Amino acid sequence: MHAARPAQNRRVIDVSHLTKRYGGQTAVNDLTFTVRSGAVTGFLGPNGAGKSTTMRMMLGLTRPDAGATRIDGHTYQQLRYPTRHVGAVLESSAPHRSLTAIHHLRWLTQCSRLPGRRVGEVLEVVGLTGAGRQRVGTFSLGMNQRLALAAALLGDPPILVLDEPANGLDAEGIRWLRELLRAMAAEGRTVLLSSHLMAEMSVLADHLIVIDRGRILADMSMAAFIQRHGQAYVRVRTPDVGRLHDELDRNGAAAWLAPDGSLQVGGMSAAEINRLAARSGLVLDELSTQTGSLEEIFLGLVGGQGGSNG
Amino acid sequence: MAETGAAVHAELTKLRYVRSTFIALLLFVPLSVVVAALDGWSARTAIESHNPLLRADFTPQQAGLDGIQYGQLALIVFGALVVASEYGSGMMRVSLLAVPRRGRLYGAKMVAAGFTATVVAIPVTVASYLATQAALGTHGASIGATGVPAALVGAVFYLTLITLFAAGVAAIARNAVVPLAILIPVVLIGSHLLSLLGATKDLARYFPDQAGMRMVTVGAHDAVTGFAVVLAWTAAALIVGYLRHNRWDS
Repeated sequence: MHAARPAQNRRVIDVSHLTKRYGGQTAVNDLTFTVRSGAVTGFLGPNGAGKSTTMRMMLGLTRPDAGATRIDGHTYQQLRYPTRHVGAVLESSAPHRSLTAIHHLRWLTQCSRLPGRRVGEVLEVVGLTGAGRQRVGTFSLGMNQRLALAAALLGDPPILVLDEPANGLDAEGIRWLRELLRAMAAEGRTVLLSSHLMAEMSVLADHLIVIDRGRILADMSMAAFIQRHGQAYVRVRTPDVGRLHDELDRNGAAAWLAPDGSLQVGGMSAAEINRLAARSGLVLDELSTQTGSLEEIFLGLVGGQGGSNG
Repeated sequence: MAETGAAVHAELTKLRYVRSTFIALLLFVPLSVVVAALDGWSARTAIESHNPLLRADFTPQQAGLDGIQYGQLALIVFGALVVASEYGSGMMRVSLLAVPRRGRLYGAKMVAAGFTATVVAIPVTVASYLATQAALGTHGASIGATGVPAALVGAVFYLTLITLFAAGVAAIARNAVVPLAILIPVVLIGSHLLSLLGATKDLARYFPDQAGMRMVTVGAHDAVTGFAVVLAWTAAALIVGYLRHNRWDS
């Protein structure tokens, strides 16, 4: 439908100074960030960080107390037939339970004057062809999520804004979604998706925006994030843990005993540890350089306060 | 304008395929026509047995408009559900993503509801009148009798307005419970009781259903006043409903 795809790495969504307060609580506090085309941008934060509120404000469902969002220079309300520009999946949105998948997608095509054949096409893309005539109320969580994605894809939009799209999908579904979104970004589309799981982001996102308690903690490429925050350490296994620990301490390395019986060593390279062990006549069963898990980094960044108020 | 037309088209599809709204709309047909026929049949029995319980002011023409008095209950439910079914599910958010201008979505919804009510009310009003006359047999009146066409037209206007009134109240309440809990008792008994009490009789004339009665009374002289009163109620409900819809922060 879109003959010319937008150029890669173009500023597509500009969020500036978005703020939302509920009563005395500030849910979103002066958020400013940019989402670019041709990449998957991950919007990461623990539950209750303000991700959903931010996305609802970006799409005009929730009125911000301050700030604005520009999508290709326009507010969402200014877009003509917006579902042709932005495909969105929001956590709180759902079709009426008594509608069949086909009827739900049909009224959405009518809203944006899309050809009726798109209904069958998107059902096929999300793997719901066989369930098209089923009422949405009978759908499983995963099927509902697939239908929401189908609705987002109806207008073949160059921009996708997805709030926790992997929720309810099984492992196979998550893999499918990952490939779909990667392919979308490779076509030059703009993909913004939120998640509270770092593991999901680490395999999907090119760019990472981390928020907690309504504030931005990090806004950088995934590679830069790992480089900046991921501290390497060396894992060593030896039959004589006590002696190696002593030797490492004597030589200025920081070593600690992990619950699995291995030693984790910081401040000394694997090669140096190997030479030290050889000099001391110690046998090593394992010697490997580790990067701190991204989940640990993320939890460290947000102060380990996952899953606070929803 | 094209976008608004598209939104109306989509709203008509929702009315048809969301089960609750469609069932309410369907019920309007038998509720009106069957009650109209029963009404004519019981009146005929009363006339032929010289039953003194037959109302002194009975006319076959007016009896032909009794069926839709009951049928309107289904349209009130329909009007309320058109709006409430969206607030009750997450559907309103989906709708606002597709049609983000609140006024356009609200307007499209009301146009679709009003249009549907009118299109259904025209044949049902005529069929109800004819059912009553057929049941009355030789006591029945013609559809062309003096004042009848005007009353039938008034009935179609009234049914459309009461549907929109219910939709507006549902938008104010953001649910169906409040409009139904208020409107159905009022229409069935409430303001009718008030109209029997001397002190509140004047007041009751300005209730939407009592004012609506003037629109559907054969040979009424104040049909236009009744129309104006119902129109004012409907406009007020729609405007306040719009303001509430516009302020809805999802």
